[in-house]
Amino acid sequence: MALAPVLLRAGGASGVRQQARSTALAVLAFAITTALALSVLGGQRAFTVRAANGDPFQKEWGDLYIVLAWVAVILLMVPLLSLGGAAARLGVARRDARLATLRLLGATPREVVALTVTETAWQGLVGAAFGMVGYVLLLPVWTLVPFQGDHLAVSEMWVGPLMLVALLVAPALAALSAAFTLRRVVVSPLGVAQRTTPAGLKVIRLIVTVVAVIGFLVVTTLSGLDSAALTVLILGMLAAVFGSINLVGPWLIWLLGKIAGGTARSAAGLPAARRPADDPKAARRVVGGLGLASFVAAVLSVLPMISEVQGMAPGERLFLDDLVMGAMLTLAITFVVAACSAGIIQAASVLDRRRDYALQALAGAPASLLDAVRRREVLTPLLFVSVTSAGMGLLVITPFLGPGVQIGTSGLLMLGGCLVAGCLLVLAASEASRPLLRTVLRETSVRPD
Amino acid sequence: MTFPPLPAVPTQHTAVRVAAATAPRAGIRLAARGLVKRFGPTTALAGVDVELADGEALAVTGPSGSGKSTLLHCLAGIISADEGAVLLRGDDVSRLSERERSLLRRKHYGFVFQFGQLLAELPAQENVALPAMLLGASRKDATRQARQWLGSLGLGGMETRRPGELSGGQAQRVAVARALIARPDVVFADEPTGALDQATGAEVMKVLVEATRAAGASLVVVTHDENVAAWCGRRIEVRDGRVVGAAR
Repeated sequence: MALAPVLLRAGGASGVRQQARSTALAVLAFAITTALALSVLGGQRAFTVRAANGDPFQKEWGDLYIVLAWVAVILLMVPLLSLGGAAARLGVARRDARLATLRLLGATPREVVALTVTETAWQGLVGAAFGMVGYVLLLPVWTLVPFQGDHLAVSEMWVGPLMLVALLVAPALAALSAAFTLRRVVVSPLGVAQRTTPAGLKVIRLIVTVVAVIGFLVVTTLSGLDSAALTVLILGMLAAVFGSINLVGPWLIWLLGKIAGGTARSAAGLPAARRPADDPKAARRVVGGLGLASFVAAVLSVLPMISEVQGMAPGERLFLDDLVMGAMLTLAITFVVAACSAGIIQAASVLDRRRDYALQALAGAPASLLDAVRRREVLTPLLFVSVTSAGMGLLVITPFLGPGVQIGTSGLLMLGGCLVAGCLLVLAASEASRPLLRTVLRETSVRPD
Repeated sequence: MTFPPLPAVPTQHTAVRVAAATAPRAGIRLAARGLVKRFGPTTALAGVDVELADGEALAVTGPSGSGKSTLLHCLAGIISADEGAVLLRGDDVSRLSERERSLLRRKHYGFVFQFGQLLAELPAQENVALPAMLLGASRKDATRQARQWLGSLGLGGMETRRPGELSGGQAQRVAVARALIARPDVVFADEPTGALDQATGAEVMKVLVEATRAAGASLVVVTHDENVAAWCGRRIEVRDGRVVGAAR
């Protein structure tokens, strides 16, 4: 641990600047994660408080609101945890050469892991502290949101001492992600350095997904089981479909990359197609958050249809309006978090590939070409994953609509709007690493001497 | 060893701003006049004059920190000198903007480095084809030329291998093919055999010198290895930012 300051200075002034930049980005990501996670928990608390102490409507409908708030918490925790993981990977991104030097100096793998995990945990801690401030600053914003016929109050959204838990959870999450990321480096250094043709992903990923979707559709037509067993079965198959999105996503990106790589016609298109095919799991990490958000958006596209139902009691109408509001809020946060994840992962990628980029620029490749490659690298999987995820979402919701009922134009418009906005957000976040690329090109030396 | 025909890529001189300067003698492709480069308080180049003739192979030697890499970077337009001029075929290219220097390197120069210059995700033929595609060649033409270059450099049958599936010497030959596919005026090689054993290094130097000459390009090799320098027709030695010796 005494080596930490030396390690930080290794690489000269530009190395320290790049390290500072990646550290700042990682801290920012942890701060966003913490602020939004606390806000979501605050929302959940607000409904719990109202269920206990609110007006008659809030008490009567309270349990349902609490259940739905927990659903939102669970839905949002997945992308938020992904963002935290991305931040940890970014924290590790700049350390590869220094870790190698430390290994040469005789540091054991355990010491190297401990050093990096500790550094990343510190970033998590600092990010959590900033995130707590962000949560407090966001509180007045949430009071603009009406629920249950009344605007949320700061006192309802205030999680109190629970906030301090973030100071434990964020560093723990950072440390775990960093340890997981480093495990691959330390256990098999050659696995990182080797530049061989990776084995293609197996078609079994597609088969499992198709089986899961068919299984889900079959289960939703079943009758004769008692309702509890059927509910468990449907939820189980729904979870299988949800999980299979993660399974089939990289396979589809790999296939798309292989096809695009074979047909690319331009100097930008060729590496832009080869890179996702080379590491489809990494390519999916960039757009995975949006895939999840698109799936959720497709499921929620029924909301406009539901809210148009006539002849409801005032309480039911209020509940439906709140359902739409909550869903839109969840969706908006999911998209923002997905965009943040994409931006952070792209920044880490720029730092990881800094030497490649510097060498290409040196050989005359203009920075605009490097930008074009990075943009295409994200854009193609982005469109593909968001559309296929939305398609699966529509497939999943269809059995619940009842015979002859369709989502309708307004629902499809909402879904289309969400997909376009989400893609633009992710693209914008990805483009945000342009200045970082320029700095990397200026500061990265192609020769160590 | 036979080399492929000229590729169908733009070969006209870079249409960038050039200024009149002290004209070098006929047959001089690249010349440096009084180059000075400072990094803070350190003077890396203290008034260097050097000339490179058409088709000539020049070795730049010197100990670590002597300024030989800085000289290569200035000659190649990677960095700008604080004083002096760099003339390519008589045109001053030392005061170009960053973008113009980028264009100059793409169209007129080729590069071979010690390691890491190949894109890991691309097979050998695509690594070689990329510079030609950057200059506007179609993928089909660029790939055909790349395969020809690889074949002529003894890498026939390895076109679809990725950098990790090639030996160090093979990877450097791919880098040589990549440096030459766009028919550059000058190839710059920075310690091209630094990561290779002596026998493999000699093979790579033979390929580099012969292929560069056959392509009609001039060659600048920065090295601290006497065996590598011996492959070049002329040698200059740099110490403390000055040329202190020259030999043929």
